[in-house]
This record gives sequence, structure tokens and C-alpha cells, in this order.
Amino acid sequence: MVKKNLSSKSPVKLLEKSITGGLGPGNLGVFASRKGVGKTACLVQIALNRLFEGQGVIHVSYASRVDYIIAWYEEMFKNLASSESLQQAMDIHDEIIRRRVIMNFRQEGMKTEQVLKGLEALLVQGNFPARTIIIDGFNFYLPAAADVRLFKQFALDRQLEFWFSCSLRGDDPLFDERGIPLVLKDYLGSFDIIFTLENERDRIRVNLVKDHDRLSLKKLNIELDPQTLLLAKA
Amino acid sequence: MDARLHQMRNIGISAHIDSGKTTLTERILYYCKKIHRMHEVKGKEGGGATMDYMELERERGITISSATTNVSWNHHSINIIDTPGHVDFTIEVERSLRVLDGAILVLCSVGGVQSQTLTVDKQLKRYKVPILAFINKLDRVGANPFKVKDQIVDKLGRRAALMQIPIGLEDNFLGVVDLISLKAIYFDGQNGELVREAEIPDELRAEARHYREELLDAVSLTSDELAEALLENKASPELIRQAIRQATIRREFTPVFIGSAYRNKGVQPLLDGVVDYLPDPSEVENIALDLDRQQQPVVLQADPALLCVAYAFKLEEGPYGQLTYVRIYQGALKKGDELFNTRSRQKFKVGRLVRMHADHMEDITEAMAGDIIALFGVDFASGDTICSPGLNYSLTSIYVPEPVISLAIEPVDKISSDRLSRALSRFTKEDPTFRTYLDPESRQTIIQGMGELHLDVYLERMKREYKVEVTTGQPQVAYREAITSRADFDYIHKKQTGGAGQFARVSGYLEPFEGSYEFVNEVKSGHIPREFIPSCDKGFQASLKKGQLMGSPIIGVRVVLSDGQFHPVDSSDLAFQLAAQGAFRQAYKKARPQLLEPVMKVVVETPSEYSGSVFASLNQRRGIIVSSIETGLYSTIEAEVPLSEMFGYSTILRSMTQGKAEFTMEFLKYARVPQNLAEELMEKHRQKIEEEKK
Repeated sequence: MVKKNLSSKSPVKLLEKSITGGLGPGNLGVFASRKGVGKTACLVQIALNRLFEGQGVIHVSYASRVDYIIAWYEEMFKNLASSESLQQAMDIHDEIIRRRVIMNFRQEGMKTEQVLKGLEALLVQGNFPARTIIIDGFNFYLPAAADVRLFKQFALDRQLEFWFSCSLRGDDPLFDERGIPLVLKDYLGSFDIIFTLENERDRIRVNLVKDHDRLSLKKLNIELDPQTLLLAKA
Repeated sequence: MDARLHQMRNIGISAHIDSGKTTLTERILYYCKKIHRMHEVKGKEGGGATMDYMELERERGITISSATTNVSWNHHSINIIDTPGHVDFTIEVERSLRVLDGAILVLCSVGGVQSQTLTVDKQLKRYKVPILAFINKLDRVGANPFKVKDQIVDKLGRRAALMQIPIGLEDNFLGVVDLISLKAIYFDGQNGELVREAEIPDELRAEARHYREELLDAVSLTSDELAEALLENKASPELIRQAIRQATIRREFTPVFIGSAYRNKGVQPLLDGVVDYLPDPSEVENIALDLDRQQQPVVLQADPALLCVAYAFKLEEGPYGQLTYVRIYQGALKKGDELFNTRSRQKFKVGRLVRMHADHMEDITEAMAGDIIALFGVDFASGDTICSPGLNYSLTSIYVPEPVISLAIEPVDKISSDRLSRALSRFTKEDPTFRTYLDPESRQTIIQGMGELHLDVYLERMKREYKVEVTTGQPQVAYREAITSRADFDYIHKKQTGGAGQFARVSGYLEPFEGSYEFVNEVKSGHIPREFIPSCDKGFQASLKKGQLMGSPIIGVRVVLSDGQFHPVDSSDLAFQLAAQGAFRQAYKKARPQLLEPVMKVVVETPSEYSGSVFASLNQRRGIIVSSIETGLYSTIEAEVPLSEMFGYSTILRSMTQGKAEFTMEFLKYARVPQNLAEELMEKHRQKIEEEKK
């Protein structure tokens, strides 16, 4: 019950309501911003929400160490649980982490084929019931259109939803006039949802720049709490 | 003194079976001794040649049986430490690997990197041991050192390059070309003892240049100094060797030597490599925990002038009594010194001190940081840390986990029975996680440890070292019971049937508690006289030994005693103990007890192609997969799995992955047994008790 409550009250719902029909299976979504703004916090909240709903999540990381990622989950869970005055927090915590696996692809130049093979091993042979895959730390600055297409095809074949983070770097401007990150222009066809995070006078605002077929900059009424990094109504 | 430190090497020789580890070790002993003897023989007007041959034959019979053997090579003192043959993650392996400063990894030039090589290599990496590789058996049909070197790079993931190339292969294997000096090296004499340098055969010049380039490229990636010198064409052999040494010690590079120990070729350059490229004790960082400062880590200094810190890593039953092998990490150790064992907290005097050579024991009066020596006449357990008075360090964490698995064993005959007790007393001394007791109910000897493999290792050692044959029962998981809610008690113990009566009343409550057990006394105004409060505590503690669900020990209880009553004549120590036990019985059921089982942290390392099967196998075992780290070729999968599900896993994993995967397992926590399984277990327990009653 508590879990259901937690899930329905979750601020991630706000985010999902803002996009037409959520992300949905077979689709790719991405959070783009400069480093350290809150992409991982968003991804982890999406993952936690799926876990509360009783689904499995695979969190793929290209760079961070496993204990670092686990620490993110613990932190966000603690923040969520406290804001929801959750009582049986520990029990729920112990139950949901059973459905989360962290995969770390360490080697530089790890091929997307290998990553997908690893995912497939866990999903199919390992019979792991995940519907949501988090991909944190993928480098979009390499020519990777073919890789993103592979992810898209994998998502379609297995009816999974993929959430990416995209770290923006270099000199301004980073966005075009429609608010689309320049680096993502090569991948527009593969991504169904694009969110950007914007640092605006000490607040972090969430913008929706691609909503399935629609390309338009929409400033959402959602922001990240600067203390807890939880998504909240602005 | 310092010069001596720089001339010390503590090395191990690691290999898979059949790669020629024994032959190589024998040759090393022989050549090292040979040098020693040649110095002596010279003074005696020669005449030793024929004797040497006989000596050699005798030497060939040597297998190293002692834990360490000291040899000299080129004015350096090398301790060769025996690394255990089994590859399981046990305290014994940990101890022998921690006293090494470097190692030689032996590979077969035909077989190359095999699954056991991977295992050994992973251990060396886990303990951060710098290594040299030695590709052996170049005289064999199908020998291909180039292929094996590539495997070291690809399969072991090491940056490696050949230090030498072969002159001929298989039957025509004659010698090696040293790629730094660019000289051919031949091994003349009856037993290859005469090392002869010559010009490189013309047909090998181009090849030598090619592999020298490869070597320099690999090393210059780790050294800016060398890279610059190479650009300016000023790379002297000394500079190259220095760069290789630094890179090897930092574990950024693995020099690869080649040869055939059996044909007496290539061993001496390998020994030079040990001296040139493996670290001396001062170049390795060793850390101790300061027991007086919350186990804070302290870096030890290999300086003989400081206070002594040493580590007892192995015990050996010798013909002259128990030998304790000790590695000194800091300071010095002298005969007659008074030192302190930080585990047993006992002072002792250093008595007889010896250095072990291949064929004799040398009595010495002192030894210093970096040295490995043996002590007579001290009563240590292995893993003990020895310090000068004033220091209270431990080289290993003093936390010893509770055993999670037990096994009943029974010796097959009287002789075995006598030997068994000797073996058990020795093992328990060596390994604090290995325990044993006599079950008063079944009259069986029970051994306990940290996992199935852990106990298997000791069963094997009983057979091998003590010739003890035992039959074993089924391994039993150590379950626990714990309460999940608060429950009150109010209990009167009363007995008045002739003689002195008994009276005691206790009331209070039980509640779940993070630790193991806590007793809180809140009794006011003397309702229970002070002298009987410990009796109550004792009574409650006695109740914890056997829970009511499955007769397992109870953990995680706080008992709060808040009130009671006594009788001036009939109350006694015993009466209050019995009252406490009655009260506990009364409250325990109400406190909703549940069954706990040990959950293990399991780490499987497997070639990535099998990761799917490994995931599936862990899933089937009620495992939670925590993470999977992929490095391209290998996956390291970490999971939490109940111990009861892990029996026989090593066999299953081996057959699933053609022996290419391996796993380690250690106790993580106690966790609730799922309801349906708990009921099954309790039912079995009930049946067992009923059978015993009949």
C-alpha cells in the first residue's frame, strides 16, 4: 500500500504527465545538461519510481563505480521516503533493490554490441524482469548515430524503455533556437523524448524540447529541489 | 643495513599444474646454490667437478616442502615463498600472498593461458603483486612463446612484452636473445650452469630489432623519461632497465622471460630479472591497523631502526617441534628480544631464530625488516601480529566472523581418531574462522567454517597432511532466530515441595535490538535484591542458546527487566535464573520470532559469454544480483545469495562454463527466511525431534 502511495505521489508522475502518454515501451528518452546539474538524479528517480511500481530496472553506467551509483539510489530513496513520511522504509527498500541490477561497462571503447549482449544475457538467460533501462554516461560526442540506432532497435525488439543522460560540454551556445542540444541533432530520429535541465538563478528548471513527434521548447512547471535534487512542482 | 634491504626479494612462484613450477623451482635452487658453491670451490683448488654432478642428481630430488626457502643470487637474498596449490579464497591463500613482494607467473609455451592461469593471475591482481612472466617448455613440440605473450596481453589484460626471443624452438631450442643488451645467451656445461654471451645469429637480427621495438614501445608508454630518451636516441640499457623496473613495480608492465627449465635454459636471466625488476621490501607499501586507535591504518616503514612489527603467516610441524614462519615488516628482531603478540596479548622472548635454506636450517641471531625467518618455541596462531612493546598493531583485521556452516565428521578408525585431534588443534590455531566442538547430543565431532569450500580444504588437508580418513554428514547451515516485536513478560517461579522452597518473580519486556543481546535493569526500590540481578541476566542469556522455532541460537534481543518480587527465605540465584528462563519462554512466542539464514556475498568472475547462464544460476538460488561489471572479455557479477542455496555451486559453475568461471563467497548478513521455506524447515526440525524421542 505504502509503496503504491509512494509511487502515485512520486514527482516523477509530474514529469510523465507532461509528456504525451509517457515514454512508453520501444522508446528512448534523454536528459541533457551540463555536468553536475542533476541528470543522474532524474534518472535515479525514474528508476526508483519503476521499482515502486513493482518493475525491474537495469542501470547501465559507463563511468561511475558501482558503489557510487548505489549511493545515489540510497540518497534519493532516503529523500523520497522522508518527504513521504514513509514508515516501513527499510522493508520497502530491501524489497525494491531485489529488482535493480547495476551494470558497469568499464573499458574505454566498449562497443554498443557488447553492452546489448550483456543486457540480453541478463534479460533473457538471466530471466530478469526489467522493462526500463537506464543508460548513464554514454558519450554522444563520438559519432554514435549507429549505436543509438542499435539501442532503439533493441528497445523495439524487446519492448523496453530506455532513459539516457547526455552530458553537454564546450562553449556556448549548446542549444539551437528551439532549445535542442546541438550535440543531439544527429540523434533526433532515435530519441522520442528530450528533456533539458537549465540552471536559472539558483533553480534547476526542466524543459521538454521533444515530445514524441513534436519539437518545441516547453518550459515545464517542474524543477529540481536544490537541496534534495528531488523533482517538484515549481 | 639499508643496502641489505635493497638486496632482498620475497617472491612466490605461481603457475597452473603442469607448467613446470617444480622443475623451475629446483633449477632456481640449484643455480643459486651453484654460485654459492663455486665461490667456495675455487679456494679448494678445483676438483669439485665430478662431485658437482652427483650433487646435482641429489638436488634434483628436492621439492620444496618448507614454507619459505632462502637462496642467494648475485649478492641478493631471495626468499621463495610456497604459495598454496588450491585456489580458493581462504585465509591461508591470503596470508601467503600478503607476505610476497613479487611473483613469477609460469606459463607453458604450448598450453598458454589456461583457466587456472586466469585464477592465479586474478589472485595476484587482487593482492596487487608485481610479477614477471616466464614462458616455460620452449623445447616442447608446438612451443610458441609469441602466441603465449599475446595471450598474456589479451586474456590476462596485462601490458606485457618479451624481454627475450628464442634461438630456435622445440628440439632446436638453443638459447635466447636478450632484447636489451642485444646479445645471444647460451647455457653451456653439463647442466647449463655456464652462461655464455655471443653475437646474435644473423638470421635473427631483424626479428630481434622488431621485438626490441615492441618492448621499448610498451615500456615508454609508462615512462616519459624513457620516451624522451628514445626520441633523442639516448636510451641506455640502464635507463631501459630502470624504466622496466619502475613500471613492473607499479604493475603497469609485465616483463616476459622465456626458456626451458627442464633443458636448463633461461633460468639465470630470469633470476637476474627477479633482482632487476621485482621490488625490494622497501618499495612495497604495507599497512597495519592500530588497535589503540580504532584500527586506523598505519603505513609501516621497512626501517630496521624503528619498533618491530612482524607477522606470523604459517606454522609448520617439523621434526624439531613447531616452526613459526614470520615476515618482519618494520624494525628488527633479535634473539633475546622481548616482544608482544597483539592477538593473545602475551609477551614472549625470542628464542631460537632460523633462516630456511633448501637443504639446511641456518641459525641466526637477528633479522630485520623485509626478512622472512622462522621462530622455534613460540606458541602462536598463524595470522598473529608481533610488535615491540609500545606498539599495538595488527596486520589483519581482528574481526573474526562467526562460522556459517557446520559439518559432522567421524574418523573411520582409532588411528585416524588420534590424528584427527592433532589436525583439528592445528587448524583451529591457524585459522580463526575454522572451529570445532563435540556435539554432546550426537557425540559427533562438528567442524564449522565460512563455506563449503572452506571445509573441503580442511578435509583435504586432514587426508594429505595427517592421513586422517573421515566420513562426513550433510553440511548444515547455521540458522538463527530473532524477534520482530516487543512482548511483555511477568513470570513467577514457585516451588514448595518439601525442603527449601524456591520463589522469584520477574516482569519486563523483550524487544528487537540491533546488536546480539542487551540486558537493561530498570528495577526500582529493591523489588529484586541487587545480588539477584546478574542471576536474571544469566537466565535470559541461557535462554538465547536455543530458540523455540528450530532450536537455533537467538540474536538481536534486548531484555528490559522492570519489576519483580522476592521472598526473604525462598529466593535464590537459581530461582531467579529459572524465573528469567520461564519469562523468556513466555514472552518469546508473543514477540513474533522469525527464522534467519546466513546470506553470502557471492562474486562470480566469468568470461562474458557465460554471463547469461551465471545470472540464471544465481536467480534460481534465490539470489539478488547487485551488479555486473563488464570489462569486455570478463564479467564480474556480484550477488547476495542464501548460503543454503550455494551447496555444490562450484561444481555447477564449473560445468556451466567449462571451468572458466570462478567464484568467491563470504558471509554478508543474516536475513529473514521466506515464510514458506521457514515452515518447511521448522517442520523438518519437528520431525527430527520426534524421531529422536522414539
